[in-house]
Amino acid sequence: MKENLFKIHPAIGIARLGNSEDFYLSPEQPGALPIECDSDGVEIREKGKPKRIQSFKDESDLSKVKRQAARFRIFVYENESDLVGKEIKIGGVYNMQLVANAATVVQTVKGTVTDIQWTVHVANKKASWYDFTENSGMHGYASDHPLRNPEVTEPALRRQLIIDPGPQTVSSKNSCAKFSKGQNPGYPQTFPPVNISPNPIDTLGELKTNVQDDHPRLIFLGGNGNSGSSKTPVITSFVNNDGWFDDISDGPVTASIIYNYTQESYDKKGKKVKTVKSGSMDVQIPAWVVVGYPRYVPQMMDMITLDEAMFDLFVRNKAYQPQLFGVPPFEPENNQPKSEQELDLWLNEAHFNPGFYPQFYRDIWPILTRPDCYRYTYDFDYFGGADPHNRGTGGNLDMNALSKPPSHGDDPNFEHRQFIYNIMRKSGQENLFTAEGAASKSNPNYKPRLMPMLCGNNPITNISPDKFLAMTPTQLFFLKQWADGKFVNECQEWGEGSNNCNDPWANPPVTGEAIDRGVLSNMLGGAFCPGGELSWIMMNPAVYSEPYRVKHAVYQAGLLSLPAPIANLDGSPAPDLAKGMEPGDLTKYIGIPWQADFHECTYQNIDITYDNWNNIELDSTGDPAKQKIAYNIPWWPAHRPIVVYDKSMSSQVYWASGIPPNLSGDLQMVEAWKDLGFLASSGTGITRSFYQVERNNSALGEPVKPGDRQLGQVTGVQSSVGKKRDRNDR
Amino acid sequence: MKKTEKSSSAYDRVKQILNDIQGDRVPDYQGYKAFWLAIETFETVELYGQRMISPPISGDNTDNNLPKKKSCCGGSSGEEPNEGEDRSAIAEDDAVQAVNTEPSGHADPDCWPSGGSTGGGAGGGEKRSDRSGIIKGLKGEYPFDGSIFPPLLWDAKRRATASEIQFIAQWIDDGCPTESESINTESEKSLSAKNISVERNELVALACGEKAHKVSNKCSNVNRKANKGLNVRKEVSTLTDTEVQRLRNALSCMYQYNDHWMDERSFDYWARIHTNSCQHGWEQFLPWHRLYLYFFEQTLQDYDEYITLPYWSWADYADANTRTFNTNKLDQGVIPEAYRCWLTQKAYNRLEASNLFSEKELAGLQALAKSGATFNSGLRFLKAACIPYQLIKNPDTGKAAWSDKTRLIYNELRLINPLWFPNRWPGAMVSPMHYPTKANINQLLSIKNWSDFAGGPENDHHFGKLEEVHNGMHNFSGGQNPHYPPPKSLKILDPDIQNTENPPYGWMTDNRITAYDPIFWAHHSNVDRIWARWQELHPDVKPEDMDGVLPPWSLSIKDTLSVKKLGYEYMRDSYHYEASSSVSFSKFNSEKAGVKGDVLDTYRKADIRLHRVQLGNMFNTTIRMFLNAPDASADTPIVDNEHFVGEITTFHGTCYGGPGHCNLPLDKTRQFDRRSLHHHEPRNYRVDASDAVRRMLAKGEEDISVHLVAVGLDGKPIDNALFFDGVSLNFMD
Repeated sequence: MKENLFKIHPAIGIARLGNSEDFYLSPEQPGALPIECDSDGVEIREKGKPKRIQSFKDESDLSKVKRQAARFRIFVYENESDLVGKEIKIGGVYNMQLVANAATVVQTVKGTVTDIQWTVHVANKKASWYDFTENSGMHGYASDHPLRNPEVTEPALRRQLIIDPGPQTVSSKNSCAKFSKGQNPGYPQTFPPVNISPNPIDTLGELKTNVQDDHPRLIFLGGNGNSGSSKTPVITSFVNNDGWFDDISDGPVTASIIYNYTQESYDKKGKKVKTVKSGSMDVQIPAWVVVGYPRYVPQMMDMITLDEAMFDLFVRNKAYQPQLFGVPPFEPENNQPKSEQELDLWLNEAHFNPGFYPQFYRDIWPILTRPDCYRYTYDFDYFGGADPHNRGTGGNLDMNALSKPPSHGDDPNFEHRQFIYNIMRKSGQENLFTAEGAASKSNPNYKPRLMPMLCGNNPITNISPDKFLAMTPTQLFFLKQWADGKFVNECQEWGEGSNNCNDPWANPPVTGEAIDRGVLSNMLGGAFCPGGELSWIMMNPAVYSEPYRVKHAVYQAGLLSLPAPIANLDGSPAPDLAKGMEPGDLTKYIGIPWQADFHECTYQNIDITYDNWNNIELDSTGDPAKQKIAYNIPWWPAHRPIVVYDKSMSSQVYWASGIPPNLSGDLQMVEAWKDLGFLASSGTGITRSFYQVERNNSALGEPVKPGDRQLGQVTGVQSSVGKKRDRNDR
Repeated sequence: MKKTEKSSSAYDRVKQILNDIQGDRVPDYQGYKAFWLAIETFETVELYGQRMISPPISGDNTDNNLPKKKSCCGGSSGEEPNEGEDRSAIAEDDAVQAVNTEPSGHADPDCWPSGGSTGGGAGGGEKRSDRSGIIKGLKGEYPFDGSIFPPLLWDAKRRATASEIQFIAQWIDDGCPTESESINTESEKSLSAKNISVERNELVALACGEKAHKVSNKCSNVNRKANKGLNVRKEVSTLTDTEVQRLRNALSCMYQYNDHWMDERSFDYWARIHTNSCQHGWEQFLPWHRLYLYFFEQTLQDYDEYITLPYWSWADYADANTRTFNTNKLDQGVIPEAYRCWLTQKAYNRLEASNLFSEKELAGLQALAKSGATFNSGLRFLKAACIPYQLIKNPDTGKAAWSDKTRLIYNELRLINPLWFPNRWPGAMVSPMHYPTKANINQLLSIKNWSDFAGGPENDHHFGKLEEVHNGMHNFSGGQNPHYPPPKSLKILDPDIQNTENPPYGWMTDNRITAYDPIFWAHHSNVDRIWARWQELHPDVKPEDMDGVLPPWSLSIKDTLSVKKLGYEYMRDSYHYEASSSVSFSKFNSEKAGVKGDVLDTYRKADIRLHRVQLGNMFNTTIRMFLNAPDASADTPIVDNEHFVGEITTFHGTCYGGPGHCNLPLDKTRQFDRRSLHHHEPRNYRVDASDAVRRMLAKGEEDISVHLVAVGLDGKPIDNALFFDGVSLNFMD
């Protein structure tokens, strides 16, 4: 008998900041609203399905943003090839590992689950980390890479820049714990100075447990959105601001299963004696939690979700889906690299499977349907009146036309699909604005803009530039197959009996893997400059122990790692990706305070000055002779809305009305984030629209329409000039 | 399983099983709906790239002898889609598509037959059913394991049971028979059961001459194999549509591997051998090229065992080319139609969809697609379509390159006809030259010594006459590019004469790259044929060094001297009548063979062959042969009868031994069986019919039928002495 395999799901949970006591649960389906819960975090159900939240803020106070809790559960698997698993129950009987004492070999026993001990340790390392400078550091930091708070060089002092409340453990007996100052006796906590302003930080969040339908669950809640500076609070950069702290955090989530088992032994007379004993076993595959800022438009999908970005990473680097990317004949048996050497061989040989047929509604349509939604968060330039994302009949993105694979040898939509594919930005075209040579019949000079027309990982400087966003290689492969007619329309083939054939995510996920991916699908997967909730570090295969699982490092209490140049001064621990991640190691790459970067992520004017700008004169910009600028390229219209509709759908207004698009506005955002509106949606399919709700006009004033000139608000085009200045502007 | 009605076939049962699994709701199945209901669809359909029933691989013995539509070359050729025309039909061969797609570096689905993957993946014993998508799908195996597709059938009422899957797999491995009879079980494979579905009295009627045999519409090599005869290399104009399509399919597949030119399945592998190893200008020229063709042909036969290389009888095109070669006007020559280019409607549609062409150009192309006219060069095709042959400067190499339009059209032309080649401008080379005529060939054949005919030995090497003529035809078929050098406006300072696009001369003219042009093989097949003919006329004349080795092959000159040992012979054309040896013949009648007019116009020799005449315990018989005399009988005079071809008398005698001793021998299948011809192996007869055919033509007959009358040694009709498997009428150049 071998012990069962236990895993915590989701692999990476996402909590979101809020200043209300009230909270809801993280959505687990792409673009779904968060889930209503009671004060213990027990999911509220309606007709057998999770009930969705009605409001994002407290009923009586539009300046109180509810927090989003990350919920974790434990799944049991028969063995490593069991990919479905099921959630464990209190009272459930599983094969448990028993470590009685050092002299006993490891045994497996039938154990009845009685309780779960959950342990979480989050931290915030932003202020102790390096400056964010676009893509530098992506492949390791140079020894002279600038640090945040560079004047703090003494390792012990530098460690004080880390917010480390220490780990907390909860179980059914002890079902609450807070990552707060003074709540961790016996741990050398570090918190920011008490006098930081405007808002002090004395907690990074809390833990709760609950049991729902016998399933034991952990609820993690993050910080309150407090940010403050130990100096005179000013914002000088979108991403690096010395003296500042915020209450974002991340860290490992582990669990230990407490169980009863029956031990049989024989007494002196040789009579069998049964004794019920208690044992515990660590869940073999632990998880991670990340805290992000509020998701103001939860139902609108990012152009690339973090799930999609990570999927691509694992597909191409970890033999995650050999039928899609692997070594011929693309079956699992040929694609199980076990050692590093085998993985090297695999990486050399593996490629996309030309016989892979993507499924339209699962693999293709999500990519094509998103841009049309962005007109509800962004004031589109419709290129002279036409709507490039039109999903109606005859439109570029007409689902009826694009969803039909070749049938009986006929393929009337071949050209249409090829056109779409041809204007998608391919790998290697990250710095091109328009398509090369995709001419139209009627107008040979027509050079369409490459899609997506969004900012890339580094549109800011010409050093290691990555100006525009490209879909992931896996997504581009799906699109290529699709354009060539190699795809399946699920609804035509095996989904005819199902109402949901055109929405694979219509029902709440039941497998652990689907929960992992569903949760990540509501996080931003690019561009990473530095990113949304997380940065480009998530695209480094070294940080994972297996697909979707962050590798846990071993670390000492109170001795979380520091940047190597500081750590080396006294032999303190320095970061080592190969050894895994510590609390705070994922979010430390993000801007500080988060409000500044978030507020600035509207548009970017992208300088694509001359053909060889990346070869010579790296810092040269704005060459007047041949300057080419792509204007108003949005960052992430689904994360950071720019122009939105009010509920009447009659007029567009600036979402951030009342907060000027400049460094002063960035500072204002440190407090004003809680007053901003959220976007709700109504309708379905092509008629679905998004509109603003719960904006606190009493704090921010009436929203301003584009074109209106009012105090503190200018038009979008002017406001976008010079967005996201780099560090040199400090 | 339900009890099957006695009258229903295995295929009916297969349909019934699949219908029942599917239930009422049938999904789209990529537009084919219930694809299993029509055998033509079921056997060829690809569902999302997965072939539902894998094609039989070369070496599958399942259906060679079955009277099935797609097996061999049988079936009505009228129904056979012209595969160059119909892209969906040709899509069976992924290679064809691959030729037109950018090399991905990774071969698309492997078009080349093999014995299955090694390393225990599939095992050498992989069956056709194991390779078939329907079986993988019903079993839920990759890619129907949910990783790419759900198990088959989709949206179905239920899954298939193991016994149902087994039944369908067996049916596939039996060759997908649609007949109700159970056929092809081992015990019934014997000779006498070959035509079991034909009524016995039908056989009797055929064997006594009451009914006439129809000419076989199978490929010549299929009939040859059935009768254990040599393969035939035919003149390219006499290949049937199916025969030429088989060759095209094989080449298409070989082109798919051209990224891997060290893989012997790639065409470029073979073309490069000429580059590196060819022998010219001495006595090894003919032997070396005989082996070169032989090994290339063996590779083609790995793909399809019935393919042989056709020959291009140059002299047949002399009338058309006397002026085109003896001129200074370029690109005027005429080559065999099979090697020309033309446009199909589907290819036109793709060109139109490219948006590259103007209305006027599209009109020109559309007209060509409608007419189906063939062109001797790509350049002439472009002219006819009113599309200028445009060149651009390749920014990477600085060399001349085809414009996008030209490239797109050329890609389509090569897709339609893999025998066509773009760097080919047949005709003159500025200075007028002589095109070889039949008289010239006959002059060659009259040469009496090896070195004059075929080249001198190592210490006194010189070109032979045949090779000199061959040289001229290399130049003729490659020709000179009228558009070289490229226009000055392109500013190409140093035009590269080795450029792959727009070179000064056709590739056939350059012995480094000549074999990349598919016409090379037909050209050399003709050289080899003329040598073989010369050998017939001069059987004792040999080159000096018989032991000279012919690298890269480990064979020497003496191994090359018999084409028959290499397994083939040359024929202008061959017409075959299948016969049943289950009934004794007293009289054999045939319908007219449908001999092509130009065959009758140009043949040198004709013969009638009797295939596999049985020996054991047969009475000696005289077989009289007549042409165009359906009423011939034992009483028909043979003296002064212009219909009479000749007669043969068998010499059999009695046979004695234990029970079964005189039966037909087993097929020779064992690898190490080196014993020579078995005593009781049925034997072949052949009679020269050259003069008799001429007499028929002189009488005004326009086609030929063959009639045999069996006569006992007593001069009376005999009806229990003559058993044979086939009769053929053959024409030699």
